[in-house]
Amino acid sequence: MNALRVAAVADIHLGEDLRGHYRKTLAGIEERADVLLVGGDLTRHGTFEEGRLVADELGGLPIPVVAVLGNHDYHSDADQEIIAVLRDAGITVLDDDAVTIPLNGVRLGVAGGKGFGGGFAGKCASEFGEPETKAFVRHTKEIAERWRLALKGLDADTKVVLSHYSPVKDTLLGEPPEIYPFLGSYLLAEAADAEGADLIVHGHAHSGTEKGITPGGIRVRNVALPVIEHAYVVYCLDGEGVH
Amino acid sequence: METPQYVAARVQRALAEDDRTNELGIRVDVRGDQVYLRGQVPCDERRHLIEAVAREAAPGLTVHNEIRLLEVHEPGEEEHL
Ligand SMILES: [Fe+2]
Ligand SMILES: [Fe+2]
Repeated sequence: MNALRVAAVADIHLGEDLRGHYRKTLAGIEERADVLLVGGDLTRHGTFEEGRLVADELGGLPIPVVAVLGNHDYHSDADQEIIAVLRDAGITVLDDDAVTIPLNGVRLGVAGGKGFGGGFAGKCASEFGEPETKAFVRHTKEIAERWRLALKGLDADTKVVLSHYSPVKDTLLGEPPEIYPFLGSYLLAEAADAEGADLIVHGHAHSGTEKGITPGGIRVRNVALPVIEHAYVVYCLDGEGVH
Repeated sequence: METPQYVAARVQRALAEDDRTNELGIRVDVRGDQVYLRGQVPCDERRHLIEAVAREAAPGLTVHNEIRLLEVHEPGEEEHL
């Protein structure tokens, strides 16, 4: 099977003050990669205007672009409008669902969405007590369950999970441990481990580290722009098959 | 004098919640009447806005803006998984 070259980045946090800058760094991406995954925090304030700017910057690339939103993209309650304007620009936006893209004879399946927090096994919040706490934990549980179903339903040769929040602690190294529960949840990893995937890509942890692995052995990569310090990174998936 | 930990917390909250910044990744340290801002942002305009919001949240204190500009390099070597 042909190898797939997956370019990935997150936390581009575009705004009017950066118009044109990120787009420039994408020149020639089709020589290096077959698809671009963007792991959320596309904007800074989550306004519709910023969403339109992201659509201008990421739209019309010669390779397919798959994105999810991040917490910043929800800040102005314009998340659905942002999703719509990105889709109008030809960008696939995952919102707890999945897509299959045929690329050089390989079917790449991408599942995911924003994700959410809650913490990591042994040191996490549970659905107990005040309604506010329960709602917080339930949000992550529901997301993880939708991802599991999305992965299960994927008929693809290579599967990648695209998230904003982190599924593991490994890639948070460098962040203060006190805020780990706000940076991700093990429930996201558990969903991926249950159904199998070749790679999980996320962002959100600007001070974290690039590389980690789930308890089930799926490679995890934190591609937040301040972590990778490159316009994007490229992962070659050699198609040895889903774990 | 106000307890430094509370000043740091207030500045950090202001940086996150003020619509001019909405920056969550800035580290704020207060030593006496000195405030130190550290982190990375993609452009100079954001660096200055962060400083302005921090000054408003910590009136009378000296703010040191040690925030770096994030350099985005050309894509590097690919990783084989
Ligand atoms: Fe971010
Ligand atoms: Fe984020």
